Amino acid sequence: MGLWDSIFDWLRSLFYKQEMELSLIGLQNAGKTSLLNAIATGGYSEDMVPTVGFNMRKVTKGNVIIKVWDLGGQQRFRTMWERYCRGVSAILFVVDAADRDSVPISRSELHSLLTKPSLTGIPLLVVGNKIDRSEALSEQSLVGQLDLKSITGREVGCYMISCKDSVNIDLVIDWLIKHSKTPN
Amino acid sequence: MAQPLVKKDDDRDDEADYSPFLGIEKGAVLQEARVFNDPQLDARRCSQVITKLLYLLNQGETFTKIEATEVFFAVTKLFQSRDTGLRRMVYLMIKELSPSADEVIIVTSSLMKDMNSKTDMYRANAIRVLCRITDGTLLTQIERYLKQAIVDKNPVVASAALVSGIHLLQTNPEIVRRWSNEVQEAVQSRAALVQFHALALLHQIRQNDRLAVSKLVTSLTRGNVRSPLAQCLLIRYTSQVIRESGTNTQTGDRPFYDFLEGCLRHKAEMVIFEAARAITELSGVTSRELTPAITVLQLFLSSSKPVLRFAAVRTLNKVAMTHPMAVTNCNIDMESLISDQNRSIATLAITTLLKTGNESSVDRLMKQITNFMSDIADEFKIVVVEAIRSLCLKFPLKYRALMNFLSNILREEGGFEYKKAIVDSIVILIRDIPDAKESGLLHLCEFIEDCEFTYLSTQILHFLGIEGPKTSDPSKYIRYIYNRVILENATVRASAVSTLAKFGAMVDSLKPRIFVLLRRCLFDSDDEVRDRATLYLNTIGGDGSVVETDKDVKDFLFGSLDIPLVNLETSLKNYEPSEEPFDIDSVPREVKSQPLAEKKAPGKKPTGLGAPPSGPTSTVDAYEKLLSSIPEYASFGKPFKSSAPVELTEAETEYAVNVVKHIFDRHVVFQYNCTNTIPEQLLENVTVIVDASDAEEFSEVSTKPLRSLPYDSPGQTFVAFEKPDGVPAVGKFTNMLKFIVKEVDPTTGETEEDGVEDEYQLEDLEVVAADYVLKVGVSNFRNAWESMGPEFERVDEYGLGPRESLAEAVSAVISLLGLQPCEGTEVVPSNSRSHTCLLSGVFIGNAKVLVRLSFGIDGPKEVAMKLAVRSEDESVSDAIHEIVASG
Repeated sequence: MGLWDSIFDWLRSLFYKQEMELSLIGLQNAGKTSLLNAIATGGYSEDMVPTVGFNMRKVTKGNVIIKVWDLGGQQRFRTMWERYCRGVSAILFVVDAADRDSVPISRSELHSLLTKPSLTGIPLLVVGNKIDRSEALSEQSLVGQLDLKSITGREVGCYMISCKDSVNIDLVIDWLIKHSKTPN
Repeated sequence: MAQPLVKKDDDRDDEADYSPFLGIEKGAVLQEARVFNDPQLDARRCSQVITKLLYLLNQGETFTKIEATEVFFAVTKLFQSRDTGLRRMVYLMIKELSPSADEVIIVTSSLMKDMNSKTDMYRANAIRVLCRITDGTLLTQIERYLKQAIVDKNPVVASAALVSGIHLLQTNPEIVRRWSNEVQEAVQSRAALVQFHALALLHQIRQNDRLAVSKLVTSLTRGNVRSPLAQCLLIRYTSQVIRESGTNTQTGDRPFYDFLEGCLRHKAEMVIFEAARAITELSGVTSRELTPAITVLQLFLSSSKPVLRFAAVRTLNKVAMTHPMAVTNCNIDMESLISDQNRSIATLAITTLLKTGNESSVDRLMKQITNFMSDIADEFKIVVVEAIRSLCLKFPLKYRALMNFLSNILREEGGFEYKKAIVDSIVILIRDIPDAKESGLLHLCEFIEDCEFTYLSTQILHFLGIEGPKTSDPSKYIRYIYNRVILENATVRASAVSTLAKFGAMVDSLKPRIFVLLRRCLFDSDDEVRDRATLYLNTIGGDGSVVETDKDVKDFLFGSLDIPLVNLETSLKNYEPSEEPFDIDSVPREVKSQPLAEKKAPGKKPTGLGAPPSGPTSTVDAYEKLLSSIPEYASFGKPFKSSAPVELTEAETEYAVNVVKHIFDRHVVFQYNCTNTIPEQLLENVTVIVDASDAEEFSEVSTKPLRSLPYDSPGQTFVAFEKPDGVPAVGKFTNMLKFIVKEVDPTTGETEEDGVEDEYQLEDLEVVAADYVLKVGVSNFRNAWESMGPEFERVDEYGLGPRESLAEAVSAVISLLGLQPCEGTEVVPSNSRSHTCLLSGVFIGNAKVLVRLSFGIDGPKEVAMKLAVRSEDESVSDAIHEIVASG
């Protein structure tokens, strides 16, 4: 039985691609656009300009088409995050793990965003970026400082990555593909 | 499900007003806008919804802040679609919604991506949107891309960047100026539109630098500009340069004229027309310069395209105002345009012909116009009527034909404005052409027999009352007037009664009959009519005896009410019924806040009935009354002339003062009109201390102080001087305003008891020779000159030294003498080496003066003048020479 099921799934995947939509948020200079590039092409560039507004990108991974809303992280855009998180399959929150001063701000922005009723139940993946730097926080302390344990009513994941060195990008992609079916 | 977005043209006949969006509702469309958030976008459907939203916005529908924000953010999600049609709608929607700056910034990154996209359509439109929403800081970030776009090989992209530059120049000039090199490159583009936009931007960048504009024009007029639109712009910029540089007087050539003339042979009609118009608008254009332009315009007159005919005839119409002779060649072509289908063209043709026509062609023209009048609208007819009026004043001998024409059209159907224009014209002709009076009055009488406009009837009746009694046979008007009493409404009946009374007062032979008629009016159903009849019967001798009418009565009947109606109204309101009758002398005569705006209003048209003896005269009247109301000045007699107010303070100072110079035979009175502009102050005992030490011939005789001058309520103080009888004494006076200041609490209006004496320096005032001369024109200078005779002619020659131009010298002499230029001789054709100017006027002592000035200019701009004066009095002729000699 299980074999037939998996063959059927494989056949179906040849004709029907799955779609998912996710929004990529986080403070400025956390590495959101770099992560998007890493997911899409695997490339990395030191020379990035701040995103003014948002980038919309479609990435195909396996049989999943991922629509990514890569949003600007500056103060003036943060109030608008919520508008682009409504109805997405997952929220990807990027933190600069090497910039310890900014982590408390990340925490408050994240928690205030998640209280929005429109975003109830949407899975959250927190990504600590820039672990190539020596001053980067460990996963444990990041989870602690962001107070991720207190988040309830949704699936929460956390990975430590480095876009520069392409560390753990594949984990992120796998997590995304796993959540490609919308929770509804 | 899908409705057709655009209706097809061929449906138009059946359903002229059909719109696919008719009756759509905002609420429903906003609901539909939810499709923007669908995970699977339907681009076609989204486009339709945006079209509906745009339709609503353009119909004036407003979205609340929340609605607009929702729609805006939903629309930004459409950036995920790759459908070019939809993307275009997204651009439009962002521009149209123009959300607040803090929201719209969200699309910046997406637009910047589009700006560098491979799709040209994305690039061009993204540039336009981005420039629309950008601010200075962002502009510096995208400047690099914009500079590239300006020289992009795709013309749509380049144009978009250039047009954006034109808009951005208003807000961020310093950034756009840095693009000069790229813009200059774009001017050389092969694409017509790019060249056009680039030239416009380049000119705007440089517009404040005259030299740079001149260089730009110089280089481009040599090179080749392909785009007709750009060429038109270039012609405009060239005329601007010509205007600012003036003619090259050495050779008499005008710079760039050859370029303009060359453009007359351009392929594109728009360039030809632009050049022709530019030539006709050159300042002081000579007939040699005009000829080629007129020739091409003449060709346009017979074009099959209505727009060309219209453009040509409109330009010729303007030329006809200044150079009627130049246009006469086109007369035949214009006559055929009278029957043009387009009424605007026909009207312009008619009015042009009326301006250029000579005395002999008037009759033929009138015949053609008569046929044409019946099928044009009222507003065109009014234009024609006005043109005919000025034609009649130009050729007074032709008044019979023109008056007949006016009376004929007066009988036809027409609205109020049109009828009023005709009646005004007839009234002006009656006033200016004595021969036309009797026939004109009869036409007016016939008109009021069947006039549906109460206003016109009453105005005509008033006019009849003034002019009618002075005609050879006043009795023939009585029947028309009395018919009004029988047939018309109360307002017209009342004015007819007044008119009858005027006839009675002026024409003794008619008195008994007028009395009979007025007595009948005593039984009218309307009280105003009865009141007037009673009043007039009593004032002009109701006891039936035919006596010479009193002067007082005549004053009462014919004099104008010299009290401002507003003041009279307030006084009457304040009057409480008592034993004491209302005294009209108690009404203040000062006009509150002098209607300066009215005086400054341009285009002094001759007014007809509306205000017989119009504006200027009435101020003179007002001055006269004002002065005669002051006992000290009553003995001075009638003022010979009152000058226009001369400002003695800068605008917006604490106290605004201007002065009017009243010239009497043996006195001069300065009337200082003062306004206090400080709410916290009350000025008392205001006088002007005049130092006449530089005016030896004058000696001060009296000062009339102004008792109190509250805030913003003008008052007058007077100073009178004695001067030698009949001599045009001149001099300079220094003025000092002296007063007592009292503090006022602006909230309560209470004034403090104690005041402080203070002074305020005013500017100097001069009495000049021109103050002794009244501008009075003569219609035929030659006749007047001949009839004056050479008895007191004085001729002399003067060197005026180096002058800017002949025209400048002529206007300087005219303003020095203060005489009225006659027959348009104050205008000096440019490039002319000599000029004759004719002036006329009345000198103090009521002596008529005629002056013939002959000017000549030589190479180094030395102007010489021959001055010939004829007058009724030898001393006056000498005085005129003295003015010039000392001036």
